[in-house]
Amino acid sequence: MNLSRIIQAALTGILSLIISFGVISCNSSENKGKEERVQVAVVTNNPEEFWSIAEVGAKKAGSDFNVDVIFRKPEKGDVAVQMDIVNTVVQTGVSGVAISVISPADQTTDLKQIAKKANLITMDNDAPNSERICYVGTDNYLAGKAVGKLVKEVIPEGGDIAIFVGQITPDNAKQRFQGVVDELADQKDAKGPQYGKYKLYRGEAITDGANPEEAQIQAGNALEALKDQPSIAMVGLWAYNTPAILEAARAKKLTGKVKIVGFDEYTQTLNGIEAGDVYATVVQDPYNFGYKSVEILAAEARGDKSKRAKTAVPHRIITKTGIDPETKKKDRLTVKEFQDNVNKLLGK
Amino acid sequence: MQRIIGVLALLAIMYGMLYAVNPKAFNHSNQQDVLSQQAFYGILTLGIGVVIITGGIDLSMGSVIGFAGMLFGALVKNGMGPIAAMLIVLLAGILIGLIHGLFITQMRLQPFLVTLCGMFIYRGLARIIGNGSTIGLETLAKTNPSSQKQLDWLRQILVGKDIEGNLNFPSQLIVLLIVFAVLGLVLHFSIYGRYWYAIGHNELAARYAGIQTKRQKISVYIICSFLSALGGILSMCYYGSANPENTGVTLELYAITGAVLGGCSLRGGEGTVIGMVLGGAVLPLLKNLINFSASKEWVRNLIPNMDAVIPVIIGLTLLLGTLIDETLRRRSQTRKE
Repeated sequence: MNLSRIIQAALTGILSLIISFGVISCNSSENKGKEERVQVAVVTNNPEEFWSIAEVGAKKAGSDFNVDVIFRKPEKGDVAVQMDIVNTVVQTGVSGVAISVISPADQTTDLKQIAKKANLITMDNDAPNSERICYVGTDNYLAGKAVGKLVKEVIPEGGDIAIFVGQITPDNAKQRFQGVVDELADQKDAKGPQYGKYKLYRGEAITDGANPEEAQIQAGNALEALKDQPSIAMVGLWAYNTPAILEAARAKKLTGKVKIVGFDEYTQTLNGIEAGDVYATVVQDPYNFGYKSVEILAAEARGDKSKRAKTAVPHRIITKTGIDPETKKKDRLTVKEFQDNVNKLLGK
Repeated sequence: MQRIIGVLALLAIMYGMLYAVNPKAFNHSNQQDVLSQQAFYGILTLGIGVVIITGGIDLSMGSVIGFAGMLFGALVKNGMGPIAAMLIVLLAGILIGLIHGLFITQMRLQPFLVTLCGMFIYRGLARIIGNGSTIGLETLAKTNPSSQKQLDWLRQILVGKDIEGNLNFPSQLIVLLIVFAVLGLVLHFSIYGRYWYAIGHNELAARYAGIQTKRQKISVYIICSFLSALGGILSMCYYGSANPENTGVTLELYAITGAVLGGCSLRGGEGTVIGMVLGGAVLPLLKNLINFSASKEWVRNLIPNMDAVIPVIIGLTLLLGTLIDETLRRRSQTRKE
């Protein structure tokens, strides 16, 4: 078969596709109107695993509240990529959109425009001046303080700490960071690099541009610089940071010596807790981020304002034993309890 | 001409599919968005196109865009007026192109290598300037309040967004038209354009014919980097922020693909400004088509993880477009023979 025949076949295929698109579009138009179904969109800030759980929550809410949910996970944490998607989904005529804002300070003006065209809520990372209806997410400052408390638990004598995050500009990163250092310093709005008994490596959070490979390199560099110190703790503020720290510690045979505390529930993080290589992780509730966002947007589309979020979605702590060593209370989750909970939610 | 018809056919097919998927895509607001992005890609495609015509390549475009956006932000943040900052950024673009050109012509280094190194260097410089942080127009207006008026004016003039972020008119089309007209005149109606085609066809023969090939090659790299720097400012104005890690990433590849789709041969010596602009219009339209397709439940049922599939769809469509284009070109050549 020569090249031109292949091209002819390809062109025929494209034409068939166009016809199919047209036919199916027409059919789907005919099916409309039988029930009051609203369409909403959820746009995340990256394609990480964390959002897959949120997607399940969003889709469950979709089926519970008769909503067609467009769930979009931009290929990278880039404002331009995210705003292109947000603008387009709003153009398609969705009644509302939930967004995990990447750079609140710089997206606020554009988000105000979105809020004029559709019901806007922010989730996971807030943009309070964007004229959004409400924010669905964790209180990141309190979650950061919880991480600070875990660091104090694991190296009570004080020592060197390194804090890693993808970008420091998003509010969730800033708030988590401040929560951690405030807890370590036992004061509000603490300034470093010395926070009480803890000295912050490089005097600031180490960023990697939301790049997990870069995060691992950065963690390796920090370990190399700190490995001779008597007590070291490393904190990952974004989901992939903890596995990156763990991987770097394993590569340098420093697991055990370096105490790792993180955020979110990556499989490597949970396995690390079970293996005793990660002390603890503070987890958010992405399932409820997705579920509540869709529930609120569906209610708003139908004129019901009663569902608006008034409180933050609570965080939880996962450790190996699930017991707080100070109070001896079983007020934390073990990895198994957490996984059983997630599996139940996911219907596994 | 055949190649222009080929890319026009591709665009027509995609517009047809867009209408079939969701007629709402043809509303005024969405078409303004698409036209803005097509204009932006068109400007970049023209930049890389003239380099490709001379048989060269510039892989640093995306990093120059990121660097330019960050430099513009940093200058304004530190108290400089936005218009002065824009002029400095454009001058920096010219300087970058000059350096590339000098390395390529005087040191006889491969364009691929020189611009590959540039890709790393300018991305690194963007990171140094930004210190890991995004710089945005709103932040700039707060840190340098006197810049607000000029920033609003620049945004309105360059991308058509008003003080509240409303896209009133896709002004980037005007910028594209100016670049298109200037490059069109130079490429198709001046002696310099003929020099560039001659260099692309056979550099040695061009040199023997008395053309100052080094000077001409330096000039196309300057044009390319100048347009990349302009792209950095346009991106900053359109999206309201620049990020040292992400702004401009992969845009050089999209621009090269646009140029090839529009009729430029990577071997050099071929290409037209109209073809480049049309080629640059394909990718933004394709992205819009994919986004509108994702609004349909049946499409999402068919392709559950749409965002993961996007690069595959883009790659396959561009490959198909290139194949169609190449076939048409060969047919045209056969007929001529």
